[in-house]
Amino acid sequence: MKRDLMDILACPMCKCDLELEAVEGDEEIITGTLYCAKCDEFYPIEEGIPNLLPPDFRR
Amino acid sequence: MTKVRKEEIKKVVRDGYAKIVKQNSSCCTPANSCCCNADLAQDMSKKVGYTDEELKAVPENSNLGLGCGNPVAIASLKEGETVLDLGSGAGFDCFLAANKVGKNGRVIGVDMTPEMVDKARSNARNDNYENVEFRLGEIENLPVADNSVDVVISNCVINLSPDKERVFREAFRVLKPDGRLMISDMVLLKELPDFIKNSVEAYIGCLSGAVMRNEYVEGIKRAGFQDIRIIDEKSSPLDYIFNDANASAIIENLEIPSEKMKEVSSSVISIKVSGIKPNKKCDIELT
Repeated sequence: MKRDLMDILACPMCKCDLELEAVEGDEEIITGTLYCAKCDEFYPIEEGIPNLLPPDFRR
Repeated sequence: MTKVRKEEIKKVVRDGYAKIVKQNSSCCTPANSCCCNADLAQDMSKKVGYTDEELKAVPENSNLGLGCGNPVAIASLKEGETVLDLGSGAGFDCFLAANKVGKNGRVIGVDMTPEMVDKARSNARNDNYENVEFRLGEIENLPVADNSVDVVISNCVINLSPDKERVFREAFRVLKPDGRLMISDMVLLKELPDFIKNSVEAYIGCLSGAVMRNEYVEGIKRAGFQDIRIIDEKSSPLDYIFNDANASAIIENLEIPSEKMKEVSSSVISIKVSGIKPNKKCDIELT
C-alpha cells in the first residue's frame, strides 16, 4: 500500500486514524502493521495488502 | 437477522467467491484459453453496457464477468476524483475508474475475499496502475476515514451483504459532502420462493440476498442520501447471470425446473441507483 493513502485510511471498528509501522518498503509499504491506539488492535500489511478485516472476521 | 446468521452468510459468500477466483485462475493460463470463461465475461460485460474500448483498456484477468454492470457510474467520474469501490473483486471497475480519474485521482477497492484482493493487486502491478489500491475489508465496516471520498461505486455486491443498511450508512459516512453514491445491484419485484431463498448457491449467485426494490431504495434514503435516482432498470437479468458458468452450476445443483426459473426470472431485476450526500452547510444557509 502507498504511504500517501494513510490520510484516508481508518480503523474499521472505531474509525480513528491508524499508525503505520513499515517493516519493508518506504513509499510503497510491502510489509508492516497498522495500529489503532483506541482499540489497541494491530492490522497486518502483507505483500502490500493491508488486512483491515474486523479482528473477529480474519482467517 | 441474528448476528450469528449474518456472520455465517459472510463466510459462505467469502468462501464462494474465493472458489470462483481459484477456478478462474486455474484455467486461465496463457497457454490454455479454450476452457476459460474470459470470453463469456467480455460478452456479458458488453451486454450490460461497457464499451469495447473500456474492456480493452483494463487488465484482462480483472474482468470475471460477475457484475450486473455499472458503466454509468464509470462514465460520471471526473479527473482527479477519489473513488471507493465496494466489493472490488479482481478489480475490473477499479481499473476502469482509474483510467477515468487519471494520475491525480485515486481509486480504492475494498473486498473481504483475500483471493480476490491478491488477484486485483497482481493485475494492478502487471499493468502498472499507480493510482489504484486494494485492501482487505468489510463493506459493513469500511476501513476508510470520514468525509474522504468523492464517489462510492459498487457493482452487484451489496445484495450479498446481510446488513445492507449498514453498508449504505458506511458509504454515507466516508463520502465528502456533495459526494455521490453510484451503484448497481440486483433487487426484487416480488419475493422469491423459499427453495431459492434458502439456497446457499443462490445467495452467492446474487439472488437470495436481494431485497425488494423499495426496501433497497428506502435503505439508501435512511442512510441520509438525497436526490436518489434509479437511473436504469433491466429486467430478466437472469439471462446473463445464468449464462455464467458458475450460475448454471447453481441451477443444476438446485434442480430447478425451467418454468420455475421463468417465475424467478420475472421477480429479479438489476438497477442502477445514484444518491448524493447533502452538504449540510448549504442546507442550513437555505433554511
